[in-house]
Amino acid sequence: MSSPGQMANREQRHDFDVHWSWAEGPTPHGMTAVLRVKNEARSLPFALPPLIRAVDRIIVVDNGSDDGTPELATELAERHGASDRFEVRSYPFSVSRCGPEHLHTPPDSLHSLAYFYNWSFSGVRTSYSLKWDGDMVLTEIGVKALRTLNWQLEPVDVVVIIPRHPLYVADEKTAYFDFEYINLEPFIFPNGPEYTYVKAFDWELRMLPEETRWLRMQQGLQFELKWLDADEFDHWSSTDFDKSNRTLRKRREVEVIDALVAGRDIPGITRIDAPPGRHVVDYVRTEWMDRLPRPIVHSVPPEEDAGPTGEENA
Amino acid sequence: MTDATDLVPDRRIVFVAGSGRSGTSLMAGILRELGFHVPQPEVTADPTNPKGFAEPQWVVDYHARLLRAARVHPSDARPSAWFETGKFLNRLRARNALERWLGQQLEISTDLVVKDPRLIWFLPIWQQCASELGARTAVVTMLRDPTEVVVSKQRSYGGRLTTTSRTAGWLNLMFYTERSTRDANRAFVRYSDLLEDWTSVVADLGDRLNQPVIIGATSSAMRAAHNFVDPGLRRSPSGWDQLEVPLRLRELADEVSGALDRLADDPSDADAQQRMDAARVGYSALYEEAEGIALSSILAAGSPNVRRRADGQPVTDPSGAEQEADGLADSDDSLASSDRAALSAVDPPTGPERAIDRFVHRIPHRYRERIPVGLRAKLRRNAVGEREDR
Repeated sequence: MSSPGQMANREQRHDFDVHWSWAEGPTPHGMTAVLRVKNEARSLPFALPPLIRAVDRIIVVDNGSDDGTPELATELAERHGASDRFEVRSYPFSVSRCGPEHLHTPPDSLHSLAYFYNWSFSGVRTSYSLKWDGDMVLTEIGVKALRTLNWQLEPVDVVVIIPRHPLYVADEKTAYFDFEYINLEPFIFPNGPEYTYVKAFDWELRMLPEETRWLRMQQGLQFELKWLDADEFDHWSSTDFDKSNRTLRKRREVEVIDALVAGRDIPGITRIDAPPGRHVVDYVRTEWMDRLPRPIVHSVPPEEDAGPTGEENA
Repeated sequence: MTDATDLVPDRRIVFVAGSGRSGTSLMAGILRELGFHVPQPEVTADPTNPKGFAEPQWVVDYHARLLRAARVHPSDARPSAWFETGKFLNRLRARNALERWLGQQLEISTDLVVKDPRLIWFLPIWQQCASELGARTAVVTMLRDPTEVVVSKQRSYGGRLTTTSRTAGWLNLMFYTERSTRDANRAFVRYSDLLEDWTSVVADLGDRLNQPVIIGATSSAMRAAHNFVDPGLRRSPSGWDQLEVPLRLRELADEVSGALDRLADDPSDADAQQRMDAARVGYSALYEEAEGIALSSILAAGSPNVRRRADGQPVTDPSGAEQEADGLADSDDSLASSDRAALSAVDPPTGPERAIDRFVHRIPHRYRERIPVGLRAKLRRNAVGEREDR
């Protein structure tokens, strides 16, 4: 049985029932980043340190990594003095991949993306949560912007879109940046009963109250690592992304990756070479992107779930 | 080269069919939230359906008028009732009224969802009008365990209909819903599946029926649909134990329920269609038998709604029977004057024509039949004035 504040799963694993913190009483102001990770050991050294500086608390939910991801996350937190506001949780069930596999998984199953997300975010004990991935990297401007936003959000309930750029990484020295595409997606949500996850057609979806107030932050605050030597679509059960505009971003990523791997030029893609002795991701994060003229991407495509048009812009 | 049949027409109409209390409002409401247009105004919500019916008021009025003219009850159990309502396909004014209204709605939106439990009685008219307006149609039929339907109807509507009558009505409706949609772009959806996880059911519908509104639904639309689906909706207890229904009717209902369940997986399942055909024949025979058995009771009741046909067989006229309280509004006031004029051709006889009818029926048939048919028609025209399209 499910009731407000808790959800049970059809597999009857009560040790993995969802118990929302907000059901136990008011949560103190603050922002908790929740990262659901699986084999992100390569990306975490870039993603975690700036995030530790930007938010109050971090929860890493490991979903069966075999590359030492949870151990590395703990070590990074210790190294950056954040052990007291850092937590690693384990979710030991296989979770359906996006697309048809997800669609055919009941929403109250331990294997459902929606259930997995609800379980992961139920551990948030602050007034706001930040949905983050193990391969998402905040720029220096991004760290400052989030720190500022954190206290600005205290008296209001706002859903925040943080525009996200893809960065295609070929090796330590070389990466490619897409000047033609940017992902607009809400990442910051108030923590409460109106903001739980439900099942949508391709993946999970966060519910929002009818009168949601939106904020779209500026471009250039974060980017997502796309490793050209890895399978960037292994969390999809089908790579047929032509069906709807919901997967417009994936369509572009396939197009770019295919071209870069084949050595073809593609409009809008710029090559970035790191200075000697620097990793290209670190270079992009601390210098290259912060210096780009704004707006970075001029033509913002119609994006899935980018909030109403005309939302407040930071 | 693109095959012409691959082209998606610019206009699409999804009809949601099925017995009342089978989740038709839930399905139509979800489609509405995902982006389909429900022609306005809609029937007002009431305690039997607090989240609304997703039924266009005009459609309800239109069907109610035609049903009344055909002397057919929305849950009519007579197999012959389908012939009575089918006649309207050949009524120009009935078609014109619908085509004019439908054309206006398709100007408002290229993707419509039309739902009314009475709709299936007139599906051929809808399909023809849609075709003439260049719209592609699809039919989604909701399936629910018949015992749950009967229990839910008894609880929501009450009234004089017995559980046996309601079970027979369900059978008749499902027989012909299935039969009349065999050539259609159709899908059958289990209510229980929709309650369990509407996302997978509706996404599948989008693919199977090729509906761009579903395929391209936005996150906002999906949130709206989630908000619309009442998590409090649960299956009612099912089973025949709680119902007094004759064994043969139960067996037929179980057989039909099983066959329809197969069609939910494959709407063109030949074996399931054969089972439906066989059960339909069995039901017709059972109904005829029951009519014969009950004739004395019907005559003894002295109902003014019972007449005899020329061949001496009884004709029950359920137009005076209770109307189910499922959003029925049958007032002339709810129709525009142009619609009233258009529909006047399908009204039951009124005024002088009704008086003539009463007079004529007092003349024993053995005398009336001696008057040549042509002369009889001429006399009638002279008496009441010629009416088109009747």
